[in-house]
Amino acid sequence: MLADLMQNTLDGLAAGASYALLAVGFTLIFGVLRRVNLSYGPAIMFGAYCATWTYLNFQAGLLVLGIITVAGAVLAGAYVERLCFAPHRQGSAIAAMVASFALWMQLEEAATLALPKHLYAFPALYEGAPLALGAFSLRIETLLLFAAAIAICTLLYWILYRSRFGLAVRAIIDSPAAAQLAGINVPWVFVRVFALASAIGGLAGYLIAASQEQVTPMLGMWSTLKGLLAMMLGGLGSLPGAVAGGLVLGLVEAHSQWFFGPQARDLIAYLLLFVLLALRPGWMTTRSAY
Amino acid sequence: MDDYAIGVLTNIGLFSFVALSAYVLLIAGEMSFGQQAFFGVGAYSGGILTAMYGLPLPLAALAAMMLGGLAALLVGLPTLRLRGLYFAMATLAAAEMARILFELLHFQREIGGELVGPDGTQGFRGIRWVFERGVEPLDYLLIVYAMLALVLALFLWVERSKLGATLRTLGEDPELAASLGLDVDRLKLGVTAAAGALAALGGVLYAHHNTYVEPRNFDIMLGVHSLAYALIGGLGTAFGPLLGVMADIGVLEASQVLSGYRMIAFGGLVAVLLIFRPRGLLDEQVVHWLKRRFS
Repeated sequence: MLADLMQNTLDGLAAGASYALLAVGFTLIFGVLRRVNLSYGPAIMFGAYCATWTYLNFQAGLLVLGIITVAGAVLAGAYVERLCFAPHRQGSAIAAMVASFALWMQLEEAATLALPKHLYAFPALYEGAPLALGAFSLRIETLLLFAAAIAICTLLYWILYRSRFGLAVRAIIDSPAAAQLAGINVPWVFVRVFALASAIGGLAGYLIAASQEQVTPMLGMWSTLKGLLAMMLGGLGSLPGAVAGGLVLGLVEAHSQWFFGPQARDLIAYLLLFVLLALRPGWMTTRSAY
Repeated sequence: MDDYAIGVLTNIGLFSFVALSAYVLLIAGEMSFGQQAFFGVGAYSGGILTAMYGLPLPLAALAAMMLGGLAALLVGLPTLRLRGLYFAMATLAAAEMARILFELLHFQREIGGELVGPDGTQGFRGIRWVFERGVEPLDYLLIVYAMLALVLALFLWVERSKLGATLRTLGEDPELAASLGLDVDRLKLGVTAAAGALAALGGVLYAHHNTYVEPRNFDIMLGVHSLAYALIGGLGTAFGPLLGVMADIGVLEASQVLSGYRMIAFGGLVAVLLIFRPRGLLDEQVVHWLKRRFS
């Protein structure tokens, strides 16, 4: 029993690390633009499909596939930014969100037209047996995912708090108007934040596809939903919150799946979000971004 | 008309109900990702009442609308004070919970030698009240559009009344509405319940048109589609959502010119349209201009 709980906790943290990465990308975009990008997940799926296509046709190696996934996600992200967010910068948040949903449909259809099967194998990140730690087993992929998540968060922290670009980002989050007056090129920062978030998403998508060893068209919706859920659980617009939200989501899912089964897993995750939103504890409403 | 055309037209009518349901909330200033849940509540409860308990469809539809309204209140009460994305996410969470509950719902009775009723992910077969009474597809089409016409008439009447102005004030600026002495909470709950009942009515009609529903019919895709329909059609008049549904189901799905590329065409079209018309084709200004032109 205790061993099971420990194992579930490990598995939950592993899933949580990928949710955290998705949520961090989501939060970056939301924090700066105050807009929801529903196409965030589909752009990741698009990148993963580009890599799968390359793998099927040229048997490319893991490193190349990783680069292609990130490049594909950034490219799709740039397309979404130009068509959905650049035109609605001053205008309606709902219009931007619905436009990003429209492009979601496009990306999904483009991916399934290129690769029409329901499921494609993705090369494994690591072929060997899982690491045995006494009674527990720990997949090497999980460790890699963790290492990547920690590395990305550290890098992001450095970018946001130690670089001029990060200073501009934080200034815009505090007050876009004041940032503009201080001479910051706000639209250009938006573009770069979008690219950064898409790259993080692409990396997350690559790690998820390679550790699950498969891609499906559902990866798009899955990433958007998990990212949104983790972002909301961590309080909207806070990066440490997004990481915490991702880990909590992973833990809650792993334990509820073990106790009550797969359908209850999603039910409990949504119930948790609903109850938290209804009760609105302080950390969910304070808009202390970053 | 051939069966295909009738099928397409019926679908346009049916999905207009959810689109209108999303529209009501947009007018009152809220964005819901969850109207598909009440469409589902209507479909399941209406189907259970006619197929399992032999109630006539009109009675079942009334009961389903009440249940849809109640379910909407159940979601609306705890989320009353939420705004913007918080409200949208709360409705999304509620709707996904409802979909999973449909997946967990196993409730069957033996009727005429076969099991009828919701069977989890296997769906709910045999909602044949309409089929068994020999209602022709064309007649059912007329029934759907008669109900839709009633709903639209109600909408137009509300838009002309003081209530319509009140709702638009609430949508534009809730603080202003409250400072004018409007009971914001009660208005929002009323709108939520009405939107839920409206979606449920669409759901009952949908279930009896298809004779089969499954939990997947009521997933987040339907919710976001209804929002998109309302927004691209326009927020100026209740005809807007209808125009949105027609553009998607009527023109693109039915024309089959773009078969295989439908979503790429539609997606691009919507994104470009929203750049030039962020409140849809029939937005307030266009509607105002049309009214002055033709009155």
